[in-house]
Amino acid sequence: MDKRIGVYICACGGNISDYVNIEKVREAVKDENAVVLSKTTMFACGDANQKDMDSDIKENNLSGIVVASCSPKLHLSTFRAVSERAGLNKYNYVHANIREQASWAHSDNKEGATQKAILLVKAAIAKARHAVSLEPIRIKSQNSVAVIGAGIAGIKAAQALSAMNDLVYLIEKEEKIGGSLLKINTVAPETVSGEAIIKRLSGEIAKEQNITLLTGYQVAESKGNIGDFTLKLQKNLQSGEGNPSERVINVGSVLVATGFDSYTPKSGEYGFGTIPGVVTLEHFNSLLRKQKEKVFTVDGKKIKSVAFIYCVGSRQIKGENSYCSRYCCTAALRSALDTTEKFPGIDIYHLTRGMRSYGKQELLYKEANKRGDLFIQFPDREPPVIEDGDGEIIVRVKDILSGKRELEANVDMVVLVTGMVSAKGDNTGAIFKLPRGRDNFYNEIHMKLRPVETAIDGITIAGCCQGPKNSMESVNSALAAAIKSHSIVSKGELELEPIVAFVDEMKCSWCGKCLQTCPFNAITPIDKGGKRIAEITNSVCKGCGMCLPVCPEDALELISFTNKEIEDMIDVLSQ
Amino acid sequence: MTKIDRKFSKELKKYGAFDFTSCYNCGNCTAVCSLATKDEAFPRELVRLSALGIKEEIESSLKPWSCYYCGECSTYCPQSANPGELMMSLRRWLTARYDWTGFSGLLYRSLPLLVVAMLLAVTGVILFAFFNKFEAKPIMHLGHLFEMFAIGTVFVVILLPNIIRMWYLAVIRPGTNPSLARYIKGAGTLFIHMFTQKRALGCDNNQRRWFEHFILVIGYLTLLLMTVVFDWLGTANPIITVAGYIVSIIVFSVTADFVKERIKAKREISRHSRPSDWLFVIWLFLMGFTAFIVRLFVDVDLIENNIWIYLIHLTVLVQWAMIIVPFGKWTHFLYRSFALYFQEIIKKR
Repeated sequence: MDKRIGVYICACGGNISDYVNIEKVREAVKDENAVVLSKTTMFACGDANQKDMDSDIKENNLSGIVVASCSPKLHLSTFRAVSERAGLNKYNYVHANIREQASWAHSDNKEGATQKAILLVKAAIAKARHAVSLEPIRIKSQNSVAVIGAGIAGIKAAQALSAMNDLVYLIEKEEKIGGSLLKINTVAPETVSGEAIIKRLSGEIAKEQNITLLTGYQVAESKGNIGDFTLKLQKNLQSGEGNPSERVINVGSVLVATGFDSYTPKSGEYGFGTIPGVVTLEHFNSLLRKQKEKVFTVDGKKIKSVAFIYCVGSRQIKGENSYCSRYCCTAALRSALDTTEKFPGIDIYHLTRGMRSYGKQELLYKEANKRGDLFIQFPDREPPVIEDGDGEIIVRVKDILSGKRELEANVDMVVLVTGMVSAKGDNTGAIFKLPRGRDNFYNEIHMKLRPVETAIDGITIAGCCQGPKNSMESVNSALAAAIKSHSIVSKGELELEPIVAFVDEMKCSWCGKCLQTCPFNAITPIDKGGKRIAEITNSVCKGCGMCLPVCPEDALELISFTNKEIEDMIDVLSQ
Repeated sequence: MTKIDRKFSKELKKYGAFDFTSCYNCGNCTAVCSLATKDEAFPRELVRLSALGIKEEIESSLKPWSCYYCGECSTYCPQSANPGELMMSLRRWLTARYDWTGFSGLLYRSLPLLVVAMLLAVTGVILFAFFNKFEAKPIMHLGHLFEMFAIGTVFVVILLPNIIRMWYLAVIRPGTNPSLARYIKGAGTLFIHMFTQKRALGCDNNQRRWFEHFILVIGYLTLLLMTVVFDWLGTANPIITVAGYIVSIIVFSVTADFVKERIKAKREISRHSRPSDWLFVIWLFLMGFTAFIVRLFVDVDLIENNIWIYLIHLTVLVQWAMIIVPFGKWTHFLYRSFALYFQEIIKKR
């Protein structure tokens, strides 16, 4: 049956029609082969036009649609939906972008813009002539999620998933759950200890039947794909007896929440390791926890003044970690307040690069100020100098707020407010092939639009393994990731895009080059008809097309972007 | 390299400063101040120096005297750090630093000590009256002599050395060395500001207050002249008598208005009253008022049998001359004008 194509050319309320003569475009394409209907419209995406398209498709028995309008990122799904509503398979719809690629790009040349638009629409028509109806790939999905890492993010994600009736395996490599939160004396802006929070949550998850807590286990291997992952878990060597040393679980989605490591200062960095009394914030918090007397005493020495140095290992001008670790300003403020609450006479110095105690955390900054803590912002490139001063520590710092005056103070303790770095021993990323960002944390697909999904289908990320967050932000991301994972496992069946690569079995002679370039591990060699050829795992292939150009035999093609389609489009464009 | 001194901000709190450590150095205070200029910016800079405790520099700074406390800075401070009150406290602290006897600082910092000093004055007057058998004539005569003696002594022994100390701290120690010609040329500034407080007109909406203050200064100085030089309380000269009445009325009615303002505490300037502030306005009021009553009693011939009224006046006078003038807020009148004078002569051209 011959194709019957309808073409719609959008004015975009002037965005297109101010530069592209859309009437001329319509004139130029209305007699193209297989075009039976062509219209211009003020807003193709508007309700009125959508209804027109619906009735046009039905009345004219159209088998292909082209809309020439904005970027497909904006409205591809809109018009696909229109096609479906009118009973036309959505893959018969082809989008031409004449706004970003014609009117906006060539607003200085209306004639040229119009000519380009004509070619773009003709190319789209050429593609539409080849369009075929496709059905989504449907796969079964396990109604279970593996949550890796039982810190605050992992625990909250597990609870959220459990509340939505998904089965959850909460996997923690340590014997105790809680992760980094356990080391925080007071979780700002509240006044509760990290340990107390974890204790409460631990009690809560013990009661939830949907959650299987696996402490002392690490993921050793993963097979399968979205909807059906098989994870092999290995017990840690130091883990107690009684648990099997290996377990295999089946899950539909994996939620990674493996957390962070605290930055460890280099030896000599602000006197760390070389001057007694210079400690990290984490260490300081543990010292503070241990105090039982009325006087702050460390190694027999009375502490009367403490200097906090901020941004150690974060926001580095020279160095790897140029990012802000987000939680440390507040954590340091909280520790300072804890200190003066317990020991009111202690003088606190905050040597900062500019405080970032944003949101409600500002109240802590205000409180510390009010109590008389001294805040000194030093220039980015001129950090404080720490020297050993015979029982005291000499701090030299330039104060921006008094004209870069060089100041000196003697203190009993220096606390290095260290930031976050990606967790060193975390092999989860390697197992799942998770991409990492420049900061070495796991990368989401899009910071704003898809903040908890990874490039690997079925794997979501939450908490600080993705980048520095405070506990509240970690929980927020955990709940978002839980919802995303839930959406994968909850339906029992998943629909995937049918636009995947396919192999011409006659041409293929398995050289393996395609497998090497495939970023998703979607190709496996199989023996068929007496020879070894490539096979595409449809549920894993994302239709990126990376394998096509490397095939020496031209044995690979992409559904809906076949050689014939692309060649015809090029022919039209080069007219 | 400057040493940070954390004790300084605690010390300053004894002089009335509070909450200034809340400052996050936005600089709003300096921006809204109608007296601050690009070359002479305050109060933020002084708030910062105070938080860091850079004593030496504050000691040499004349900026606290450049502020006439309109209070706009405190009104617009987003952190409620009260920069205006900090400036006031710095003036008190500087007063204490200039004072070689150290009494000034003691009396500012300790209210009990202040009360004891005031009571000592009361005791002294009672003893004095006792030894003179409560007879009006000798008491009033000696009272007048005391007045003259006190003024001279306080000026020579306390105020003059203190101004020399101020000059040393602000002009000599920082290393400036103005020529004699500049001292002479600048002298005009000294007297204009001493008698007119002209600079205070630069504060927004301050005309009424400035005018009241101006009248008070003139009234007070004239009253001083009348009582000390012309012996208003003892004279028979009708012109002096009437003039004395007028100026004493001016003194106590204007101060009554100031006291009322402090009680209402509506404006920023009268919101945070320290003992030294109360003492100053109330005793100035009492000075004028008791002098007025004493002269009234003299004119209606009641003083002989009512010497107590003069003893009250004398008590107020002694407290005023021995405590408030040398060690209290009265000195601000001198320091302010000298500060502007020194500022003028060390100014770079």
